[in-house]
Amino acid sequence: MSLRVIAKLDVKPPFVVKPVHFEGLRKIGTPSDLALKYYQQGADEVMYVDIVASLYQREILYQYIEETANELFIPMGVGGGVRSVDDFSKLFHSGADKVLINTSVLQSDPSLIRDASSIFGAQSVVLNIEAKKWTDHWECYSDCGRIRSGRSVTDWVTEAVELGVGEIMLQSVDCDGRRRGFDIDLVASVTDRVSVPVIAASGAGSLQHILDVVKNGKPDAVAVASLLHYDIATIRDIKMFLIENGIEVSL
Amino acid sequence: MSNIIGVVNYGVAGNIHSICKALRKADANFLIVEEASQLESADKILLPGVGSFKDAIQELKNDRLLEGLISAIRVKPTLGICIGMQILSRIGFEFGETAGLGLIDAEVKPVICSGSVPHVGFNNIRLVKESPLLNGLDGEQFYFMHSYEVVNYTDIAALTTYCNHDFVSAISKGHIHGVQFHPEKSRDAGIELFKNFIEL
Repeated sequence: MSLRVIAKLDVKPPFVVKPVHFEGLRKIGTPSDLALKYYQQGADEVMYVDIVASLYQREILYQYIEETANELFIPMGVGGGVRSVDDFSKLFHSGADKVLINTSVLQSDPSLIRDASSIFGAQSVVLNIEAKKWTDHWECYSDCGRIRSGRSVTDWVTEAVELGVGEIMLQSVDCDGRRRGFDIDLVASVTDRVSVPVIAASGAGSLQHILDVVKNGKPDAVAVASLLHYDIATIRDIKMFLIENGIEVSL
Repeated sequence: MSNIIGVVNYGVAGNIHSICKALRKADANFLIVEEASQLESADKILLPGVGSFKDAIQELKNDRLLEGLISAIRVKPTLGICIGMQILSRIGFEFGETAGLGLIDAEVKPVICSGSVPHVGFNNIRLVKESPLLNGLDGEQFYFMHSYEVVNYTDIAALTTYCNHDFVSAISKGHIHGVQFHPEKSRDAGIELFKNFIEL
């Protein structure tokens, strides 16, 4: 199996921003420029997350998604404020290949997973998790790490996979943007439980951090943001480092 | 000679945006086919697909495309992508048993292996026979995103290995071709495949 290396773009239109703990936003560039840059570096996918759409209770802004998809010949996942099958359809027609969902299915309507999965196929429905660690478990958050759900991550991913989710992106409210490493236990506890692909996100501050989560958390993919945005490493640097350490990736 | 690719657009799940983008990159002439009468103007058929086997067939029926499409594919060079390849088969087992277009003697069954399913990501293809569609592409990497696979014993053009499991990644039967991967999402190798299709 080839480990995928994914560039994650947190978008507050019209800019990609980089939050620390989902707060304190810094502008990095436009999503279309950055997506193209990471594509040319050899990214396997791009994840575009409109991080304020749910919070502001507005529709995701399709214009920026179309612009971002324009020069990409790799898959792009898109999320932010998705509430209905119709939203899925509009995103696919704007250039998305898969759709990330969190707030609406966590807070109100889990059946959207089943509906979307049967129409578009499981592979295009990605559950986006914002996990916060408590002493003995992780809790699911939504709205960019602001709203508690009371649901444990391990219960929720199991239920969501039964409903038809085809992939899971694991973000950590505690680790995101801090560049101090992934929450490896979180990743391992989810990959142990589900058979669908898992993307480890949040916390990459060095190449070693990525290798650590790959070896010990056993994800199918890693999503990276800060490392790329601050030019600490390119996608190619990450892939070469993984190859040197015996991990199979696609070049 | 005209060389117009008819891209079949069917159903809510039809995601032809990225296919059209890749075809433009490959300098293809194409038209979007939404009703059976438009099939006549197409010299070749491109059958994309997102969604389930059952839904795809149902949508073709709803759009009154099914019969015309089968007749067109019998005589025109055709490329099916992902579900578009799968539905060329005789039968599919996704959400019950559904008859396919019956143009390739194959069945569509779930991917069963030790790896995560859906199988998602870049993997290379190994050619097992000459196919003009895959000319120059032996060993190249393509993007896969699927939970089901085509099971066939007679028309395999390429195989791919995922977690020790070999499956059919491309089929060629005369002028009818199918690929399990998404060339429109496979960097330069995907554009090359579309160029090969234009050349057929």
